[in-house]
Amino acid sequence: MGKYLTQRLLSTIPVLIGVTIAVFSMLHLVPGDPIQMMLGEFQTSPEQMAQLQSQLHLDEPLPQQYGRFVTGAMQGDLGYSIRSKRPVMDEIKDNLPSTIILTLSGLAIALTIGLTLGVIAAVKQNTWVDLTSMVVAMLGVSMPSFWLGLLLIFAFSLKLEWFPATGGGDLRHLVLPAMTLGLGASAIIARLTRSTMLEVLNQEYITTARAKGLRGSVVVLRHALRNALIPTVTILGLQFGQLLAGAVVVETVFGRPGIGRLIVSAILEKDFPLVQGIVLFIAISYVVINLLVDLLYAVLDPRIRFG
Amino acid sequence: MRHRDWSDDDTPEETRRTHPNPKMSGTNSRAVRRGRVQDMDIDTFERLPGLGLSRRSFMRLAGLAATLPIASSLLAACGSDDEEDGGSGTGSQTTAAAGTEPAGSTEAAGGDETEGTGGAEDPQPGGELVVGLDSEPPTLDPHASPSAVTFMVTSSVAESLLYLDTERELLPWLAESWESSDDGTTYTFSLRQDVTFHDGEPFTAETVKGNFDRIVDPNFTAGGALAALAGYTGTEATDEYTAVVSFENAYAPFLNYAAGGTLGMVSLKAVEEMGDTFGTQIVASGPFKVESYTAKDNVTIIRNEEYNRTAPWGTREGPPLLEKVTFKFIPEAGSRVTTVETGETQMVQSIPSQDLPRIEESDNYTVSKTPWVGVPRILMLNTQLAPTDDVNVRRAVSLAIDRQALVDTVFAGLGEVAIGMLTKVMLDDPSLSMPYDPDQARTLLEEAGWTGDDGVREKDGEQLTFILNVVDPGSGAPPEAQLIQANLIDVGFDCQIKAQARAPWYEDNYNCLTHGPLMFLRSGDYDGLYSMFHSSLIGKNFNFACLNDPDIDGLLEQGRQETDANARREIYLEIEQKLADIAAAAPLVDEYAVWAYRNEVSGLAFNGFTYPVFGDVAMQS
Repeated sequence: MGKYLTQRLLSTIPVLIGVTIAVFSMLHLVPGDPIQMMLGEFQTSPEQMAQLQSQLHLDEPLPQQYGRFVTGAMQGDLGYSIRSKRPVMDEIKDNLPSTIILTLSGLAIALTIGLTLGVIAAVKQNTWVDLTSMVVAMLGVSMPSFWLGLLLIFAFSLKLEWFPATGGGDLRHLVLPAMTLGLGASAIIARLTRSTMLEVLNQEYITTARAKGLRGSVVVLRHALRNALIPTVTILGLQFGQLLAGAVVVETVFGRPGIGRLIVSAILEKDFPLVQGIVLFIAISYVVINLLVDLLYAVLDPRIRFG
Repeated sequence: MRHRDWSDDDTPEETRRTHPNPKMSGTNSRAVRRGRVQDMDIDTFERLPGLGLSRRSFMRLAGLAATLPIASSLLAACGSDDEEDGGSGTGSQTTAAAGTEPAGSTEAAGGDETEGTGGAEDPQPGGELVVGLDSEPPTLDPHASPSAVTFMVTSSVAESLLYLDTERELLPWLAESWESSDDGTTYTFSLRQDVTFHDGEPFTAETVKGNFDRIVDPNFTAGGALAALAGYTGTEATDEYTAVVSFENAYAPFLNYAAGGTLGMVSLKAVEEMGDTFGTQIVASGPFKVESYTAKDNVTIIRNEEYNRTAPWGTREGPPLLEKVTFKFIPEAGSRVTTVETGETQMVQSIPSQDLPRIEESDNYTVSKTPWVGVPRILMLNTQLAPTDDVNVRRAVSLAIDRQALVDTVFAGLGEVAIGMLTKVMLDDPSLSMPYDPDQARTLLEEAGWTGDDGVREKDGEQLTFILNVVDPGSGAPPEAQLIQANLIDVGFDCQIKAQARAPWYEDNYNCLTHGPLMFLRSGDYDGLYSMFHSSLIGKNFNFACLNDPDIDGLLEQGRQETDANARREIYLEIEQKLADIAAAAPLVDEYAVWAYRNEVSGLAFNGFTYPVFGDVAMQS
């Protein structure tokens, strides 16, 4: 395990290097002069432009700039937002809690609905329950989240008046965005759970378990589900990243503060240091989560030996 | 690196958002387009992590793989800033020169702009108004903001020396009276003596000096305010309450700009003490003061109990009726409209054209449409690049475009056919018009030697090519570009749409490389035309027609210096006529600023720059 851990950690290094290069290049790949783009909307003197250029170290050779970027990032220094003039790290910290809450709530909804639907559909294979669950799941997968968000707003805010349509704040504000995020992901989890459950349920040890006279629920939940969870956990890691990305859309639709809104406005305002910082942050979260997922395998299935 | 010469640009607050965003058709297409942008982003996001990724090997890549599409969609979306800007192009110096044109209010559904919709009962103090804005202000500092949305919030918080009403008349505000020198280079303001800022600091002539000096300070990153002070040489406080503002040359547009939000007066003590936080907590002297600012969510202003005057938009003396106004930032158009329907907000900005009929038909809301000032959505015609260097070809382009079709489709309910280089509300000359006459266009092209009945016309083996230069906000060319393209193809052009990000769009325009940049400009004064047609601004902002016409130059300079309102108006009428004759551009659509508000809101007024002012607003339960 220790050896695997080391290996796995080492293997993230090239990924992180790739990520930093991609994020770093962003500023330089944009057509046009980045300084002009960033300051495009402000009245700026040549001195100020030169000042910004040296502040962003754009006057240095590329490798040196990259080195500076990586060294800074490792120390948690992602530079300053051009618009707010605050440290990028502070901007991220301020907006992170709201997005984490949204993402985790979305994930919880996705898991609850997804696992339930998936297990029921597998156990009741080829019945109307199965069919209905899968049609619902199919709809969930196919529906773009901004559309789903608007539908939920229409139904629950406009018609039923149960929840507010926009804004951050208390739990009532969280329900619709979390549902929007969670429903899409739950569909994927449901379909995956169903297919792996079916696979597992057909295995001989399940037959054995049933032959021993165990109750159906014990067979399904303890013996089958646990083994069927591995692909689900895999996708969970990916889903978490996707939920972060989905937050970009959902937070915009619901006018909710968070990392997603932050990056959208940073892009629109051409606040490059902020965009770079957030993309780097999301990328690293993604890498870390996938690492955790890999490690979780061992816990779920002792047969998986690393090394 | 190119340095833009902003000094000649007249568009105080709206400048940057305006023209950068050439094709953003006001509210309407913004909303439409935003929908599409999201579409695209979602697509990208949803596709990448994909389904069925249960293979560990794939997972290893996932971290990296996931970041790339996000990054790339970011890049793509960068161009969409424009749309954000352009769309929200709600704000502008709605000035017409004083004493010129009455505001040709064109509102369709809302009736008179200043009329509240409430019943006859007496307005009661108290209550909260929640307003849905389509974007978050980059800053509330009026001197630093390049963006109209700032002034939606500050119009009732910060006060200016003068006030411009919807009749385009200048009224006293912080200045009780004012006069300009005969040569038009100095302006003397006699200030009110009873004004204190929200932090208790007194307002004096030194404050005026400090505010203006702050704007032109090279170490300060000014927004639209800098352009409003073009040629500013200094302010002298001749006594405690008299400020004399001087300019290098005669500068007739100044009084209009002095009434604009960009030159609003703020407490210098607060500026100094608060540093960077001033941008979210400005301290000024208006009937409302900023209470709190929650990034990405809302900004709240509350009643200034100390306000002891009559705001220039109303008749009531003393503090405003409303206790509180909350501005929520709701970028998604559909959600924003829904909030006014649910009552979560009572007033929203920028109604997309698809939602407009529903809101207008309902008895629960009032829709206010106020025409923007400045230069309409306009197709600049490059006067230096063949074949549009030929005046007949340029005239043919203008004649070939079916503006009514644009107004009926892309701008449905959100604009009207443009008649000249300035919007009708700025300068309405009945003798001007932009007719749609494709046959005449074909005749002109024949006369110019471009022949061939079917397909693309030719002359000396050259094809009649027209490159339409538009900003791609990340979702493709704007819909109006396609309509224009179809119109031009119809009369024999080979019209190609060059849809690109904003920076290269600018580069092409600076270098006069395309035939037709599509843009618009919000401007508080006729002087907006200076930045678009004066030869000194080729390769800068915004002479994208690359027009070098000494005649026009002379008139534009004259217009800047003429202090008599009527004489000034005549000059600009002449300029408009001349520009139309040489077809330096094809104006297309005069757009509206669109607001919808619920019936419980009464007493709502708009200032001459189309920003709402809340001093007399009351809420009915």
